[in-house]
Amino acid sequence: MSVAALTKKILQAALFYEIVDAMKVTFRHMLHRPMTFQYPREQRTIPDTHRGALGLLRYDDGRERCVGCDLCEAACPSHCIKVISAEDPARPLQRYASEFYIDITKCVFCGYCVEACPVNALAMTKMYEYSTHDKRSLLFDKQRLYDIGERHLDDGKKYLYAHNQEKNVEQSREYRYYFPQSVQKSTQPPPKHLS
Amino acid sequence: MGLKPATNPDVEAATIELSIDGKSVTARDGVSLYDVIAMTGKIIPAMCYHYTFDPFGSCGMCLVMQEGKKAPVRSCTAKAAAGMVIRTEGEDLFLARKKAVEKHLSVHPLDCPVCDADGHCELQDMAFQHGVTNLANAKQKFIPEDTRSPVLDFNMNRCIACAECINVCKDVLMIDALQFMKKGGFNQVVAKGDLALDCEFCGDCLAVCPVGAITNKFSKYLYKPWQMRKTTTTCNYCGDGCQLYLETKDEEVVRVTSPLSWKNKWGDRSETAKGHGGICVRGRFGFEYLDSKSRLTQPLVREGNRLVQKPWLETMHQLVDRVTEIKDKYGADAIGGLVTARCTNEELYLFQKLMRTGFGTNQLDSSARYGHMNFVLASKQAVGLGRMPNDWEDLTKAKAIILFGTNITETNPLTAVRIKEAIRVYKAQVMTFDSAITNIAKLASHPLLIKPGTEGAVIDGLVKATIDQDLVDEGAVGKHPQALEALKSAVEDVSLERLAAQTGLPVEAFREVAAIFAESTRSIILCGEGIVRRTNGYQNVLKLMDLAWITGKLGRAGCGVNTVTEEPNEQGAVDMGAAPEFLPGQARFDDPAVRDRFSKAWEASLPPVGSGARLIEILKRSKSGQIKALYILGENPLATLPASMEVRAALERLELLVVQDPFLTETGKLAHFVLPACTYAEKDGTFTNLEGRVLRVRQAMDPLGESLPDWHIMTAFANAMGCRWEYQSANDVQAEIMKLLPGYYNLGQPRKVVPVPDQYLSNDFAAGVKARYQQRPPSGEHTRPFSLSMGQLLVHSGKLSTQAPGLIKIAPNTEKLRMNIRDMERLGLQDGAKVRLTSDRGSLQLGVQPDQSVAPGTCFFPEHFNEPPVKDLMPVSVDATTGVPSFKQIWVSIEQA
Amino acid sequence: MTFEDQRTTVYKINPEHPESETLPTLRTEELLLNMGPQHPSTHGVLKVILELEGERLVKSTPVMGYLHRGVEKLAEDGTYHQFIPHTDRLDYVCAMYNNFAYCRAVEKLLNLQVPERAEYLRTIVAEVQRIIGHQFWLSAQALDIGAMTVFFYCFRDREILLDWFDELCGARLTTSWYRIGGVERDLTPSLIDKLKQFLDYFPPKIDEYQVFLERNRIWLGRTKGVAVISAEDAVNFGLSGPVLRGSGVDYDLRKYEPYSAYPKCEFNVPVGKNGDTYDRYWIRVMELYESVKIIRQCLDQMQDGPIMADVPSVTLPPKERVFTNLESMIQQFKLFSQGFDAPPGEIYCGTEAHKGELGFYIVSTGGGKPYRLKIRAPSFVHMGAFDHMARGYMISDACTIFGTYDIVMGECDR
Repeated sequence: MSVAALTKKILQAALFYEIVDAMKVTFRHMLHRPMTFQYPREQRTIPDTHRGALGLLRYDDGRERCVGCDLCEAACPSHCIKVISAEDPARPLQRYASEFYIDITKCVFCGYCVEACPVNALAMTKMYEYSTHDKRSLLFDKQRLYDIGERHLDDGKKYLYAHNQEKNVEQSREYRYYFPQSVQKSTQPPPKHLS
Repeated sequence: MGLKPATNPDVEAATIELSIDGKSVTARDGVSLYDVIAMTGKIIPAMCYHYTFDPFGSCGMCLVMQEGKKAPVRSCTAKAAAGMVIRTEGEDLFLARKKAVEKHLSVHPLDCPVCDADGHCELQDMAFQHGVTNLANAKQKFIPEDTRSPVLDFNMNRCIACAECINVCKDVLMIDALQFMKKGGFNQVVAKGDLALDCEFCGDCLAVCPVGAITNKFSKYLYKPWQMRKTTTTCNYCGDGCQLYLETKDEEVVRVTSPLSWKNKWGDRSETAKGHGGICVRGRFGFEYLDSKSRLTQPLVREGNRLVQKPWLETMHQLVDRVTEIKDKYGADAIGGLVTARCTNEELYLFQKLMRTGFGTNQLDSSARYGHMNFVLASKQAVGLGRMPNDWEDLTKAKAIILFGTNITETNPLTAVRIKEAIRVYKAQVMTFDSAITNIAKLASHPLLIKPGTEGAVIDGLVKATIDQDLVDEGAVGKHPQALEALKSAVEDVSLERLAAQTGLPVEAFREVAAIFAESTRSIILCGEGIVRRTNGYQNVLKLMDLAWITGKLGRAGCGVNTVTEEPNEQGAVDMGAAPEFLPGQARFDDPAVRDRFSKAWEASLPPVGSGARLIEILKRSKSGQIKALYILGENPLATLPASMEVRAALERLELLVVQDPFLTETGKLAHFVLPACTYAEKDGTFTNLEGRVLRVRQAMDPLGESLPDWHIMTAFANAMGCRWEYQSANDVQAEIMKLLPGYYNLGQPRKVVPVPDQYLSNDFAAGVKARYQQRPPSGEHTRPFSLSMGQLLVHSGKLSTQAPGLIKIAPNTEKLRMNIRDMERLGLQDGAKVRLTSDRGSLQLGVQPDQSVAPGTCFFPEHFNEPPVKDLMPVSVDATTGVPSFKQIWVSIEQA
Repeated sequence: MTFEDQRTTVYKINPEHPESETLPTLRTEELLLNMGPQHPSTHGVLKVILELEGERLVKSTPVMGYLHRGVEKLAEDGTYHQFIPHTDRLDYVCAMYNNFAYCRAVEKLLNLQVPERAEYLRTIVAEVQRIIGHQFWLSAQALDIGAMTVFFYCFRDREILLDWFDELCGARLTTSWYRIGGVERDLTPSLIDKLKQFLDYFPPKIDEYQVFLERNRIWLGRTKGVAVISAEDAVNFGLSGPVLRGSGVDYDLRKYEPYSAYPKCEFNVPVGKNGDTYDRYWIRVMELYESVKIIRQCLDQMQDGPIMADVPSVTLPPKERVFTNLESMIQQFKLFSQGFDAPPGEIYCGTEAHKGELGFYIVSTGGGKPYRLKIRAPSFVHMGAFDHMARGYMISDACTIFGTYDIVMGECDR
């Protein structure tokens, strides 16, 4: 090591030059715009893919998409979904979920239920602010889930598009479950995409 | 195994050799190639195959390559022949099978989300296994769903036309209620004649349907198979003791499935002799009472005129105080107990132990007393074996079967399937003697309709005809010449002609039946409620024993005199000593050595000999005030016995009536204490079925509400009474029984005991035989024209099944008397017309309906319903030897009201 | 004066005390100190029983299991697919790498080929995750030792990547983005742009972190020569990752058992000399530069193509086919309700996570669920060497040593 370098090193050590270096960086940041923002006055922009609270969707004509096939329940890794299905009293021979519960305290937001759903009845929304003082109200029932689905319909649809669950085209809206008819009386014409 | 099994189980088919995948395999000649391949452990997919019936060959999945043939062959319909060279694996076969799956898939609807079979679907499995991904030309059928039947829905969109349902119905059950019909361009399965399905509703078609084309209406759309917990347990409706799977979700019983299923289609055909795995309508659809809303969930205590819900602790304190008070005041003889044979062995054992050591009384009885005791005591007397000597396998392989007074397809449907298999596979000759036109009679080679109440006379005739025609087996009777002489002299005065007139049968019938029975190598007599529940039941069973003895069928393998039981554990009730004359293991209560052994084991002294009382005696003593406290466990004498027994008065006179039952029964409404018990789905234990097999009952769900298993309540009761019972579970009770009755559980197989009549023949036989064949003055001189009998329906069992809404939906209480259509025409009655029914005991008004199974001159009312109270028209006669009350038949007059 | 005497005098500090003569001679023994499970520097709920002689560590016994959730048992309950979200919660700081390691193990069991584009995507995201992991480690380690600014700067940059994850898969931490046979979602152009921007932005930031530490004499004093472990010991203790490489062992699974798109990328594996905390710090910082390099190469090389393997018996069908085709519907139902039928056998597959070798050992007896699943978590293995590495150092070094392993208790306790 040359004398000059050694001298420089001793000088730097004596003067705590590394602190000067570091202070330079720190002072530079003083002029920087703050990186943080003031939640909840300011909100994050949440991407479409975001996996937030689950909601149940309806078709455009207002009918429930869910046919109560229990596949979401089977797919759920944390066993937080409970579906009780039955024959729809309003439409004989048609299956629907008479009760639908998601224990959101158990939910791990993996999105498997949405992936599993064969009718795209479930979607995840951007809703994440539902903390409450009463834990019991975090057992979302069918009514609540449809409410969420309705309020966050756009988010839900965007989620489905973003995760390749549904295409944003007219044709994909026609895919709905076709139930068999009763031998006693027919109820609906066969859908286009099946014939 | 085989396409057509040999009709004689003693003769084996020739052995052949063939090569499968390069390995040499030996098989029997003429069997299906598929079976031979399955035997080697290879599983070839097949959707229309099931081992219980003949191969049908519609699915096209079981393809194999046979050397020398260009195209693959269907192995199920091909017969194995010597020298065949077979290849079962390979890319070409995989593709051929894939093509077959694609054919089925291309017309299948997109139903997985709503289909109940999803997850338990062979088509799904096959499509997934074969990796079908791209279907060309898929189209749907759009066939409407047939929901007309009360039990099953037919969704023919999903049908793959495998015909398993049709085959099982026709071949195995011989009911033939389904058929193919070409409708709307597709072959569809419909009920016969495209009407609403109306059959025995055993649901075996549902079990074998590999897709969701046939669905269970009771569990439709409720849950997917993967969500339910499956518990293997034993049915508690009849004595057949069928194994079934209770499928539960949390606290709810969703459905019942059977071991018979498309899932276990590979089996040995010859093994079906032990049962084909199916269950009947009661087992499959009568589960809804298990989680019924009307179940008792809290103990009830009488306060004035009302029953008030009380917590367990308070109830038990009060109860024990009352019992102790009565015992101190009046002594142990003031206490009695009745138990139902729907309890498990462990509970029946505890019951008799509680009565005998806890209360110190021998006044106890079980519902086996209603009929089965006749058989047990007679059989024990004659051959020293208090149960059936034969099992289902013997029954299936029998060459001649005489059915006496049993509507077996209704009372014990699965035992009936054994007889059907004997007819179909082993070409057995079945002779039925019944006063009703039963379903089994329609399949029998000798359906013999007799006049009501003449079963005893028919046996006389058969014994006489045997002796007359010299069909006596010298080997069997040679050892006991005096006994034979006594029998010969007893039947000397019997005239076949007179009996023919009395029973309504031609004389030749007696001779022919006797000849067939005596000459067959394996002959079985099966007597049902027409013998054991009627007057002289004990004597009639003894007479059947005589018949079997002189023809050499007593003690020979595959032969014997048998019975059927109505409740699941009647045999167990007898074996566990829930009868005053027996200690556990059918040991005589008055045998000093046995008494000594049990009192040592139980560390208590037994009640004195001679203090016991049977069912009817207990009720009489209650009425006379001798019995002050009665502990009724699951029994319902008030609803069972006719009014002439004055059961109500007897029960009302009691100072303490304790009823322990899952439901609030008629008897329970009179009780001072009602303790909520569990059903069989909520407890562990065992049942002993009619063959003597000990079968497991497993807990499928937690006890409903605060109800408790019977053994639990009894243990608490006994401990409060000062016993020191340390049972923590039903298994502990079982361990004690195992110690006292070594070999009883015996891995579920009854011990083969060869019935030995020698003791009986050389001692008491001659003394009693004369009286048995004494000709009573013909009872044909009836003042009333019709015979009214009460009996069981297929769909119901006791009063229990009336708590199951599903069964009530299938067979509601029509409140109508069932009559032969010709009688109705003769009396000018329309369906639903009101008639007045009069017996010596009284009269009542009710509607009539025609019923094909009712013979002219008779009428029928199901015993399960008390509305209208037809049972109160019945007289009760009590058998002198066995104390069995019989109250199922009477002569009545019918006139238009 | 011996050590013992010193102690007694300390205790009898007040000879004027009226009872001072009656006081018994106090027992002298090593002090047992429970550190944790509520100590901020233990990175979760780790408890270590320290036996102290003065301020020196004589023996330290880690007590694990405060965060035990039975994850390995949970794996036996669900299908192979259902276990992926559970792996998120092992090393919850770097969920992607856990997903990756698990999916690789299952793919090895199934002998499943992953499409090329999916392999590139996997590598890119895994390296992004490595950057996050090292940032997180750096910030936490610096904070433990007392340097707070680095913590803020690291978290600032980490935030950018977490938001990028959010846009990629919908969650910032519990990602579950990998799938058996591929990945759930492709990179969109906007994601690629953002990533490229980040790659330009990030290397100067690494220099910035170093300004605070490289020459900081407190940092040097507390890291150089602390927790030294020789190469031989490191191998014997089964250490892996930067902890092993710090001791001069050039062992990196990305090089030794190349997987995914790593063999197609050029990168160096930094190796230390002294086996002390400083060397491990240096390796991790160098790896940040390497990760940036790898991501750049992958982005350049990546071609269009499928992102999921097309094996109907294992992978899900595209959703739109489920609506119209029965066979896809059946596939969907079978896979979700029963899972795919894995061949019987057992498999071990190790993956180079930023902490070390993360391995999954799966025993399959056929059927849709693993018979047994064992996770070889680097944190857990590293904790085994804690006593060896901490012996003789000061009590205040304990924090440094926890930190140097980069332990996360979610992975350690499972």
